[in-house]
Amino acid sequence: MIALALHALRRAIFAISIAVIFVVFVGPIAILGVTSIRPASGVFYIWRGTNFTFNNFVEVLHQSQVVEAMWNSFVLSTLATILSLGITVGSGYMLSRFGGWIQRSWFATIYIFRTVPYISWVLPLYLVNTRLGIYDTYIGLLLPHIAVHVCFFSWLMKGFFDGINPSMEYAALIDGCTRWGAFYRVALPAAMPGIAALAILCWLSTWNEFLFALILSGKRTPLITSTMAQFVTETGTEWNLMSATAVLAMMPALLVTIFGQKYVIRGLRM
Amino acid sequence: MTARSTKFGVDEKERFMLFLIAPAGIVLVCFEIIPILIGMNASFREWSLVNPQRTWVGPKQYIAVFTDPVFLKMVLPNTFVLMILSVGVSVALGLALASLLNRPFFGRAIMRTIILLPLTIAPVITATMMRWSFNDQFGVITIFLSCLGLPDVAWLSDRWPSFALVIMTDIWIWTPWFTIILLAAMQGLPPEPFEAARIDAATPWCIFRRVTLPMLRPVIIVCVLIRAIDAFRTFDQVWILTGGGPARSTEVFSVYAYVLAFVDLDIGRAAAAAGIGALIMLFVGVGLYRLVNRSMEVSR
Repeated sequence: MIALALHALRRAIFAISIAVIFVVFVGPIAILGVTSIRPASGVFYIWRGTNFTFNNFVEVLHQSQVVEAMWNSFVLSTLATILSLGITVGSGYMLSRFGGWIQRSWFATIYIFRTVPYISWVLPLYLVNTRLGIYDTYIGLLLPHIAVHVCFFSWLMKGFFDGINPSMEYAALIDGCTRWGAFYRVALPAAMPGIAALAILCWLSTWNEFLFALILSGKRTPLITSTMAQFVTETGTEWNLMSATAVLAMMPALLVTIFGQKYVIRGLRM
Repeated sequence: MTARSTKFGVDEKERFMLFLIAPAGIVLVCFEIIPILIGMNASFREWSLVNPQRTWVGPKQYIAVFTDPVFLKMVLPNTFVLMILSVGVSVALGLALASLLNRPFFGRAIMRTIILLPLTIAPVITATMMRWSFNDQFGVITIFLSCLGLPDVAWLSDRWPSFALVIMTDIWIWTPWFTIILLAAMQGLPPEPFEAARIDAATPWCIFRRVTLPMLRPVIIVCVLIRAIDAFRTFDQVWILTGGGPARSTEVFSVYAYVLAFVDLDIGRAAAAAGIGALIMLFVGVGLYRLVNRSMEVSR
């Protein structure tokens, strides 16, 4: 009897803690979501009244800056993903398959430069970009977004290749394949599932990146995160419009989380 | 035969290795190393809109930063408090959550999806929604807390409540990261030690302390290392939630350097501050790396 009661109590505690976790993680997102479909008059007490409207989204999408910012962020994230993965895959392969002084010094380099805070090199990069005339352009935004991934992704790619048995590549080399061929035709296809997972995370992290957008983008090439930040600090009272923008900006994250969950988890586990 | 052609030359294999890292190396040099050097150069100059000459002034800017009471009394303590509290609490909560989710129950798949949301949503959006939820007058959470009878807190107008909100937001974002990684690690553990412990009638807490935790130790250490390095450069949440205020009392290192450069327009001093941060991180990073290597060897 006591054992039964204890069992029920334990189950109740478990259920309550799961419920609490659910509320803690869904709560703020739900508040934002509800705010985004409330009219301006109902925004301050969002749980009172039953007026719901999609006008906020319509109004936000009529602002050319928001649409432009979303398009810019989309293009930038896509290009940055392709290029970052392209340049780090070889570096990760080298770290995994070879040894010697080149490998050791490259590993030390990427570890050290991973610890450098972003602001320490984005600040002077602002000076470089204005001097070269590429401030607030695609190219001026794209290259730093690639550079930021070099260190961490080389590290992650090393992990993918470490998990692949190199005997296939040795076999290919013995059969007359070049080193390049062994990398390109044998190791790369085997690492593809990991690289796909990394691609999704890379896309999202570029879409979400804020510090670079704030410093290196301006009126000509606005990005979604810096546009949102401008809303918060400048028009901080129109919470219905802001929430609508935020909901639009988190759409890719929601879609990826729901449909690409497997890849996100695989990418995070590296 | 792959003998070296000259003493300092590289053989065919080394050429291939250099070829593989060349693209990454070029990008790293052009967009990280060269800017850092330019920043170091700027940090020794009087470089602002007021002084277009960019006069060389030696270590004056570094001295100015180190004698700035805001930097010593606010920025440095805030940065490290944020780093330690955020990483410490997230890893503890992450462990707890991972243990909860590491058993089958109805709705587990949904919980796993929900836990991913803080990681995929931009920190800017998270900070925005926290700012709205904790709004002094209309924030749903503020009103909910006062309905529970808790004293009213003006979340964003005093130093410690603002800073607590920043840390809570950071924990909200990063707890799921630890949870996902630790959950994966727990599921990869061999079942035999757990069966043996159960046969010996160990309590669940004892199993967690004496079996799970020691086996997860390497994973936890690597996660804490990565997170600690990243926590030092926290910017997004602080900037959106408090902007460093009230009265610069919640500024962390990245915000301090940003404000110097783009609000005070003092590029020289901002570069000095950024350089100091990079140096601190170099020591912390190398120190942590050694610590990790040593503890890995012990646990092996």
